[in-house]
Amino acid sequence: MRTFTHINAHTVNEACELLGQYRGKARLNAGGTDLLAMLKGDIWPEYPEAVINVKTIPGLDSITENDNVLKIGALALLSDVAKSPTIKEKCGVLAKAALSVGSPLIRNVATIGGNLCQAPRCWYYRYPRRLGGPLPCLRKGTGPCLAVKGDNRYHAILEGKGCFAVCTSDIAVALAALDAKITIAGPKGERSISVVDFFQPLGNTLKIDEMIKDFQIPATMLSMEQRFLKFTLRKPIDFAIVSVAASIGLNNGVCTDARIILGAVAPMPFRAKAAEEKIVGQPISDNVAAEAAEKALANAKPLSMNAYKVEIAKTLVRRAIKGSTAGLGE
Amino acid sequence: MEVKVNEQTRKKSEEDKHISLVINGNQYSLEVGYGSYQVKPSDTLAYTLRETLGLTGTKVSCDDGACGSCTVLMSSKAVPSCMILTVECAGKDITTIEGLGDPKTGTLDPLQQSFVDHTAFQCGFCTPGMIMSAKALLNENPHPTEEEIKEALSGNFCRCISHYQVLEAVLAASEKDGGDND
Repeated sequence: MRTFTHINAHTVNEACELLGQYRGKARLNAGGTDLLAMLKGDIWPEYPEAVINVKTIPGLDSITENDNVLKIGALALLSDVAKSPTIKEKCGVLAKAALSVGSPLIRNVATIGGNLCQAPRCWYYRYPRRLGGPLPCLRKGTGPCLAVKGDNRYHAILEGKGCFAVCTSDIAVALAALDAKITIAGPKGERSISVVDFFQPLGNTLKIDEMIKDFQIPATMLSMEQRFLKFTLRKPIDFAIVSVAASIGLNNGVCTDARIILGAVAPMPFRAKAAEEKIVGQPISDNVAAEAAEKALANAKPLSMNAYKVEIAKTLVRRAIKGSTAGLGE
Repeated sequence: MEVKVNEQTRKKSEEDKHISLVINGNQYSLEVGYGSYQVKPSDTLAYTLRETLGLTGTKVSCDDGACGSCTVLMSSKAVPSCMILTVECAGKDITTIEGLGDPKTGTLDPLQQSFVDHTAFQCGFCTPGMIMSAKALLNENPHPTEEEIKEALSGNFCRCISHYQVLEAVLAASEKDGGDND
């Protein structure tokens, strides 16, 4: 790994100030499981001048709950999120998503904020320098998306415009299903944004001198039935081919409210509004779930090698909706 | 192109010139710098353990956090040492495979002995990582079920398919360890 200036930040303000001073040439390091991989591969066109450690900022890893909101600090470890009794009891979808990430070793160092900010897993984007990379591509600012004519078996089937790399964050999918808000700190103070709006087709809305401070889940979401399903080729240490997180409000088996989010199918977490509209007001049945799944993927435009993802996505949506009536378990 | 950073920041980055940490019960104070004996800001913990301190029991295979060969215990949790910067380990308590046995008598940890007794390895490259992950599990949960062992070791890969013997070894060690409590 090429070297860099290393700075420990002790407050959120200090971290933002340092980011501003380096004008985009510094990277924040939380767990490091994604950042160090990016640095070892020397994948970005410009290698960062500085790495700013945010683990030295106290208090950013807490999980607290009050009447209206469950608050999770950006530095909470995925292993702590997966184990937290509060999260397991009230937002099982998030606990399950956290438990599905990487391996126990990775979850012991990776953070929830870092999971949201991870770089895409596209093999053209991540082509390492030692093998002749980085490959210029749309995501890096020059040229077309190489996946369109290349090997695109894991790329987007929905909403691909320009770049077809998918958002692989499992945490984002779960948080979006919980309608979570992200608190973002910057030099001008804090702002709040929903998880769905946080993502953009080519990355996220973080400015060069901003960082994620915490996540807030409204208490109203916590009483809904929650499901998280993830299809991978291997169980541990694998990224989703498709993941689905759903929060479904039920009253005597009739759906009163729904949020259904698909992961790894689009450049951003994809909210299946058509499927939500299909099931709200309906008693949940096999037929309703199957129709909703068809609706969710109605606009899918697979690339040359990834049409199989459409079928997997439909199946997961159907199972998530059907599973919501089955009590605990699937 | 060099970024102009103000003087205060430059000073700050040089502030933490020494990293103090405990490895296998011994206190180390490592100097940060670019000399051969120093720790570079970009050195991973796995690199420092092996190349700077000569603790080569910890292995590096994928160097990407995906194989578990480099597993060490940090504050009694199993972590991939190839994905951790040494400069961020100040004040941490680290145990490597060398810290399990008794260096004076050469007696192995019961878990290590169980690996030997069950021939729970073939080439042995993944073994230090397997043992450290299993050790973290047994410290937290002295009587794991087979499923819990599989889950705890799901980040440790073995290309020689020693997993069956590893399972037996860990199960046997857990039974022996807490036999009098049952």
